[in-house]
Amino acid sequence: MASTVVAARGRAGETSAPAVEAQGLARRYGTVWAVHDASFRLERGQFLTILGPSGSGKSTLLKLIAGFERPDRGQLRLFGANMDGVPAHRRPIGMVFQRLALFPHMTAAGNIAFPLEMRRFDPREIPARVARFLKLVRLEGLGDRRPHELSGGQQQRVAIARALVFEPELLLLDEPLASLDVRLKEEMQLEFRRIQRELGVTTINVTHDQREALVLSDRVIVMARGRILQEGDPETVWRNPAHPFVARFLGVGTMLRGQAEPGPAIRIGDRLLPGRAPNPLTAPRPGQPAVAALRAERVRIGTTGALTENGTRLAARVADVVFEGERVLYELVVPELGEAQLRAVDLDPGSHARHRPGAEITVSWSPDDLLLFDASLDPGSDS
Amino acid sequence: MAPFSGRSDRRTGPALASYRFSWRVFDVLEALAAQWPARAMGLVKWFLLLPALLIVGLLIFGLVVMADASFRVMDFRTYQLSEHYSTANYVRLWGWGAFWATLWRSLGAALLVTLICLVLAFPYAWALTRTPNRRLRRVLLVGLFLPFFVGQVVRAYGWLVILGYEGIVNKALAVFGLGPYRLLFSYPAVLFGLVQYMLPFAVLMLMPALAAIPEEIERAAASCGASPLRAVLRVILPMARPGLIAAALVVATLTLTDFAMPAILGGGTNDFLANLVHDQFFRTSNAGLGSAIALVLTFLGTTIAGLLLTRAGTQAFGLRGTS
Ligand SMILES: Nc1ncnc2c1ncn2[C@@H]1O[C@H](COP(=O)(O)OP(=O)(O)OP(=O)(O)O)[C@@H](O)[C@H]1O
Ligand SMILES: [Mg+2]
Repeated sequence: MASTVVAARGRAGETSAPAVEAQGLARRYGTVWAVHDASFRLERGQFLTILGPSGSGKSTLLKLIAGFERPDRGQLRLFGANMDGVPAHRRPIGMVFQRLALFPHMTAAGNIAFPLEMRRFDPREIPARVARFLKLVRLEGLGDRRPHELSGGQQQRVAIARALVFEPELLLLDEPLASLDVRLKEEMQLEFRRIQRELGVTTINVTHDQREALVLSDRVIVMARGRILQEGDPETVWRNPAHPFVARFLGVGTMLRGQAEPGPAIRIGDRLLPGRAPNPLTAPRPGQPAVAALRAERVRIGTTGALTENGTRLAARVADVVFEGERVLYELVVPELGEAQLRAVDLDPGSHARHRPGAEITVSWSPDDLLLFDASLDPGSDS
Repeated sequence: MAPFSGRSDRRTGPALASYRFSWRVFDVLEALAAQWPARAMGLVKWFLLLPALLIVGLLIFGLVVMADASFRVMDFRTYQLSEHYSTANYVRLWGWGAFWATLWRSLGAALLVTLICLVLAFPYAWALTRTPNRRLRRVLLVGLFLPFFVGQVVRAYGWLVILGYEGIVNKALAVFGLGPYRLLFSYPAVLFGLVQYMLPFAVLMLMPALAAIPEEIERAAASCGASPLRAVLRVILPMARPGLIAAALVVATLTLTDFAMPAILGGGTNDFLANLVHDQFFRTSNAGLGSAIALVLTFLGTTIAGLLLTRAGTQAFGLRGTS
């Protein structure tokens, strides 16, 4: 193993320390905090995805971890070792870049061998190792090609092999899949998961594709405007968004504005809708403006089915019907909620007749699915 | 009616007053261009190339005239070139020791100045393309272009003032009881002046090549474990090769054919081939021999350029194609 990696470990002297410990990391460009007070912890062998919209500071956070940028504040420990003043090339990190950054003057095999040469691997061991990783990313026989002689997906694989070949302790992925078409992307996602499991390398992946985050990750961090809004396992983040922004970003479908009432509940017009506050820190205070998130799949259409205890049932009018293949999306208007717009999906559109625009229907949901937040935290007031 | 009145892509609505003047100009130009027969479009590019072709043609014509003269012998009774052709001028060059010394001096200078300039220009161009500090970048840019405003001859005379027997350097040394030394009129003095003169050209030729290397490549090298030094040697320099070759080409050919630096800083003691040509034409009035030397010089320059270009391909100038 490369000496630098051993050094990073040896200094710590404890092999059970978490892979990444960030404490109050911050980086400023001019007057803008690209990353603000980022604290999190990642256990060894886990796959973490940093999710957030464009400009939220994902890449900057990754650069701080990789050592390409110095934090203005805060502290970073990798595998127990303090990374203060440790330059990028001495960190036990492999990275796949947004634009891949393959070396154009080297062959695929040359690119993959480069980190081994730089990290002083035994020269006799290098060819076999390169061959093994070419095979791992399914590029046998293409080792002699230059990057420009490879397809986008093949270049991607070279970049992955180059990042993994020296068996880094930590793998960083900065949206390496963003430029691929949907099919190749899904294929590469599964590939990542396979390789990551096979090698057991701790991984941090950056994306703004929520599906990718849910498919791949053990942990998810959602960022906005340089801040970490939520950290958790994908299912928890999906079910219990801690912040209205997270709810919006994960595409809940409907955001309703009204007034908070004890219960908790939200009052919209004359109607009191019982709900649930997923996080005490972002819960609305009674009497204050509140915002409620309602996932489109949790809205039941029609009068069938028993209402759960203290569930909500409302009359609605169909404004638009969007056929999305495996499901049908309804845009609804609810007169009783002051003509508020509501989204619902029919996940089994084949089994029954479809409602047409203008149709009067009934919708219902369980209070457990109506997530309540303090409205002052919600960025978008338009929808 | 205004020429733009029929346009459907007008965004400004009826407020014609806000229709920009430059738009009107282009509308008129486009209307004129539309009158041009489509079949004649192919001629346009040749028409645009015409001035350049003329200049190159004149250059080639001059070369042919010189080649012709180089094969005629000067008759010093009449100061006319002979009617018949002979290789006498070339035979004379072959056996002329001073010519060979000058040739090797010129070639040696081309090699040394090129190497020194590349080594010095690389960090300068690197800093210029990579610094996030706007003020530093501006200072470096001004430093780069300032010499061009001064001109080669003025600069060479500047070195006389600084390095001369009574110059600033010798005066400073005299304070410590040293010297005076003869700093001027030597090969190193000529090389020194040439390096100082060529450096901006080398930087200018290197800059686009370095700017074209994405920052992500450097980071990738670092994440592969390459220290900054090794990243430069293994990744940056190979990727900058087209720029390095272009810079070498310009510096080597300009140095090889330089006239002013050896004339002024060499003071006749360290002539280059161009000085020899000049002497033949304007001192000894031997146009035949002068032409022969000029042709040798042209041949050397073309050979160097050809060698460098075949090593790099025309990509050295960012051109398409593989040859
Ligand atoms: N070198 C820089 N100089 C100035 N501002 C920067 C620099 N790099 C990033 N920023 C700013 O910092 C903020 C965060 O940028 P960052 O690249 O981390 O976003 P991101 O989440 O990776 O976005 P994307 O999804 O578009 O890649 C942005 O507002 C950006 O404009
Ligand atoms: Mg980014």
